[in-house]
Amino acid sequence: MPSIFRRRFTWVDDRVVVNLPDDEQQMLAHVLPQLRELVMAETDPALRRLRPAARPDDDEAEAAYREMIDNDLLRSRLEAIEIVEEGIGGTTLDDEGVSAWMHSLNALRLVLGERLDVDVIGNEALENLPDDDDRVGIVALYEWLGWLLEQLVAAAMGALPEGDD
Amino acid sequence: MTAPITTPDVDTNESTALDHPWKVIVWDDPINLMSYVTFVFRKVFGYSEAKANRLMMEVHLEGRSVVATGNREKAELDVFRLHEHGLWATLEQDS
Repeated sequence: MPSIFRRRFTWVDDRVVVNLPDDEQQMLAHVLPQLRELVMAETDPALRRLRPAARPDDDEAEAAYREMIDNDLLRSRLEAIEIVEEGIGGTTLDDEGVSAWMHSLNALRLVLGERLDVDVIGNEALENLPDDDDRVGIVALYEWLGWLLEQLVAAAMGALPEGDD
Repeated sequence: MTAPITTPDVDTNESTALDHPWKVIVWDDPINLMSYVTFVFRKVFGYSEAKANRLMMEVHLEGRSVVATGNREKAELDVFRLHEHGLWATLEQDS
């Protein structure tokens, strides 16, 4: 079966099985170190999305919140990236693994979305770029990550309890 | 036999009893996928699919939604978990 039709994430025996084609493995292996570098940087504008203000109305409270959680958030992101890197070639994810993959795939989308100014120009403009636009490659990557994340969400849905109304 | 001794039903969690409740708010953004946001609400808060979906739609259509309330510590932890998932969350005290 051509790889385009193969599911990348499948729910099997209470776990999510990861099965990426070679070219997608290489792509993830290529972008994850860049994400790591970025989350460790202090000043990149994309951090606005990875580390949004919790108390935008109150500078003092925001500073206190940042002081309290910034290290934990950084550690969590780095651990998540590591878990994904270890499983790129194929793996089975428990709950923690699913979270790590979701956090990392979504963080990559947030960074790319920020770079593409999705906030300003909207998703529709990106879908209709002329072929020679410089952003076409990044848009393809952004959309691929979204497609992967949708599949992971669908696969991991089985792990959720019914929940409360 | 005597009637069982009853104690008043008080909330023993100091910060819940004494503080104003804090609100956890999620804001709309054009990047996060709708299916993903619904999933995160179910996972972080244990909401049913119907409730998570309703909150997600509220974020999407109205620009924001109060997705949880509680004492300050709980609200801060909720915001942290939402930020880990990449959602745009803030907290504010109910006035």
